[in-house]
Amino acid sequence: MNNTISASNLEIGYSELLAKIDEFNVEKGEIISIIGKSGIGKTTFLKTIANLINPKKGKLSIFGSEPKKERGLIGYIPQKLGLVKHSSVFSNVLQGAVCEEPVWRSISGFHELRTLGKVQDAIEIMELKEKTDEPISKLSGGQQRRVAIARTIAQNPKIILADEFLSELDAGTAENVWKNMLDYVKEKNITLVIVEHNIEWAKLADRCFEMVLKKNKSYSYLKEIKT
Amino acid sequence: MINDILDFFRKRKYLTFIITMFVLTWLVFIDLVDGELYRLENSLANLSVFFFESLWPPDWRVFSIRQYNCNSLAAPWPLPTHFFCSQGYIGISETLEMAFVATGFGFLISLPLAILASRNLYSDSIALPIRTILSGMRTLPALIWAIFFVVMVGLGTMSGVFAMTLYSVGHLGKLQYEAIEGLAKDPIDAARAMGLTNSEIVIRVIIPESANYLISQLLYMFEYNVRNGSIIGIVGGVGIGFYLADYLDAQLYRRVMALLIALFFVVLVIDFISIKIRSYFVEETVNNHYLFGYFFRGK
Repeated sequence: MNNTISASNLEIGYSELLAKIDEFNVEKGEIISIIGKSGIGKTTFLKTIANLINPKKGKLSIFGSEPKKERGLIGYIPQKLGLVKHSSVFSNVLQGAVCEEPVWRSISGFHELRTLGKVQDAIEIMELKEKTDEPISKLSGGQQRRVAIARTIAQNPKIILADEFLSELDAGTAENVWKNMLDYVKEKNITLVIVEHNIEWAKLADRCFEMVLKKNKSYSYLKEIKT
Repeated sequence: MINDILDFFRKRKYLTFIITMFVLTWLVFIDLVDGELYRLENSLANLSVFFFESLWPPDWRVFSIRQYNCNSLAAPWPLPTHFFCSQGYIGISETLEMAFVATGFGFLISLPLAILASRNLYSDSIALPIRTILSGMRTLPALIWAIFFVVMVGLGTMSGVFAMTLYSVGHLGKLQYEAIEGLAKDPIDAARAMGLTNSEIVIRVIIPESANYLISQLLYMFEYNVRNGSIIGIVGGVGIGFYLADYLDAQLYRRVMALLIALFFVVLVIDFISIKIRSYFVEETVNNHYLFGYFFRGK
């Protein structure tokens, strides 16, 4: 058993059932993409894996155990990126890096030099060095996405969950950002689950799933697509 | 015919709303004043008589230099004689100091409470009791709190400060937790998925994201407390309120007028400064939430 994420008979949703996932297994280092119409439950599925929403029924395990709050294990990039708009690029990337140091250091601001080094490295990898002290609100869409990736790089997670984070970008920038992400994930052997609406990019993943509405039912399910 | 009229109003929802509001308000007002509307007839004439005979010109002697024991602990002899000993200056400066201290204490106490009362951070079992405490503090106006504190600690600045602090905590706390709950969900979700603790989320996400609101509310509360402090002073026997009550009792309305004009300008200056500070924070904030980073990063 080398599964990073495994789900069986999982029922997800808020007050109403949104989707039923019969079987979903992801191996370590695998890149998975999920496509589907909006409002069908893709984001809810990612949030359930990220332990932000409790599943309604069924079994979900991350590295063989129940999802629990573990510092730095999962890197989550929401659709709107989840950056702190009034903080600088450095502060945002630092948010990821603090996962590897004790809470008291993170709160007091007495960071380890190693942590600050990791922030610098992540900023350099994403070519954001000149923007280090700029607030997020002054960056372009593409730069903001690179900050979100830099934050995840600094966090060094074992799983990355990304939710349509390439939307609102022009094709050239999006391809660039997507390739940056793929290179990094492959190099570090990180498991990546990405929700994406552009089917061409989605097919670059190792496996591609589509979330579709079950016939005559109000919930959806996951169907693997041959790439 | 009736259908046409109904249709006309159905299509113009805002107009209908405004007309209904006006009619309702007017009806309640008429009921309230109960046939005493005729009193309005001479109101302007009364005001002008009162204004020119009793209020104008203001008596600026409230700001004249006088010999007074400004520093009660170590009074030099002979007692100092200058502007800073004038009744107007002492009154206004005392009121400003009280407002400053009450706002400062109020902010420091209300912020942690507001964080605990935010339902996007803590569960209802923690948030709801804190909300109840905050609304309890808000229910009684500062004036009533001041009466309690005058009974507890006697007349003076302390009772005024405590009363305004309590009210500020209730008022600021509500504004703050509403601001925190209004923040975008994404940054909090991302931080939570990373496994950061609530205290880290507060420091790294909540405070920087809501800093502008918090500062704006803080300045608003200070302005409010300056105005409120004048009223509190009447009960607590301190600040400008003490002198106002004193002059009103003695029917020295020209002095009251002078003090009110001075207070008006002080509030105007505070408004101006707070607009400046607020615009600085809203436009150019960059919050660098690391201490050592600044020194070790190297540019």
